[in-house]
Amino acid sequence: MDLVNVDSRRARFETLAPAVIDAVRRYLARRTDPATADDVLSETLLICWRRFDEMPAEHLPWAYGVARLCLANAERGQRRQFRLLARITRLDPPPQVVDGPAPADDELAAALRRLRPEEAEILRLWAWEDLAPAGIAVALGITANAASIRLHRAKEKLRKTMTSSGHEESTEGSRP
Amino acid sequence: MTDDDDLRARLRSADPAASLEPASPAQVAHLVEETMSSRSNKWALPVAAALVLIAGGAAWAVTRTDTPTPAPTPAIAMSPRPAKVVELTATGVQAKCREPQPQQLATSADFAFEGTVALIDNGRVTLKVSHVFRGATADDVVVAQAGDSSETMLGSGKFETGKTYLVSAAEGTVMICGYSGEADSIGLRELYEAAF
Repeated sequence: MDLVNVDSRRARFETLAPAVIDAVRRYLARRTDPATADDVLSETLLICWRRFDEMPAEHLPWAYGVARLCLANAERGQRRQFRLLARITRLDPPPQVVDGPAPADDELAAALRRLRPEEAEILRLWAWEDLAPAGIAVALGITANAASIRLHRAKEKLRKTMTSSGHEESTEGSRP
Repeated sequence: MTDDDDLRARLRSADPAASLEPASPAQVAHLVEETMSSRSNKWALPVAAALVLIAGGAAWAVTRTDTPTPAPTPAIAMSPRPAKVVELTATGVQAKCREPQPQQLATSADFAFEGTVALIDNGRVTLKVSHVFRGATADDVVVAQAGDSSETMLGSGKFETGKTYLVSAAEGTVMICGYSGEADSIGLRELYEAAF
């Protein structure tokens, strides 16, 4: 590899990075606190840069996949810290704080919570990251077929969960 | 599929990132630059600071040796202090290079790889790893290069962009004295094959 190649690699990364940064920032803002999001964003970018040559043409789902693993790593570390914190707060409890503003769509939030985490995640990737089953498959490291089936089931389950939670929906009940 | 559209729209209206301000161009540029110039944390090998001589070379020791403890200090080549030779012998390191032995390499090296220099930036050499002989796999290895010409490695004596090297390290420091160098140096590949 000569310097020209190194430069062209940098130039290609510079072209592509802003879109990746924007998408991954949003991905992380939806799933974790701002401080963790910042850390995981840098780490994700670093891996994208190192493994730039492996990045497929559809790079966003792939970048989401990297971010997903980096976030999982970060959260593992945080759980350890949390256990320590839990011990400390037992000994020295902080004053009670008021909860933040409740999410606007309580019913949806409650329904999402009732789904299994994997089901909720697939719906988020679909609606928030705007991924088709093929992209979801790359982000989660599963086959496109499996992504398609799971997405379909998750949608059905979410609909059912929301209609059965007491409110009558404007849609005509559940569908086959 | 209007049902799907409805559901998607409803989920989207609950998107916590909907109100997220886009990163400013300056932030993006900073992040990109930071990414491309950052070094791997895992395998930053401070060679310059810590040339642990497996069997120290007397001729080199005069110009470029430090205490055998890895510590990220500037390149030794900048401050040749002959007094350090004494320190070196005091730590029990032999003052002459013995002929490299496969057994020595096999027992001492905890990380050995073959890699091509992709980038040299500010004395930091980034090698793309093509093969790991021993140790955890790594994509890149970053080595701090001591000065312009260090005679510590086989071949031209320093890392040069585009060339391929066989490098072994013990406890985070590159093993020299015939144990690391250009991949096509005479006998080096044979040494690696015998050792690993």
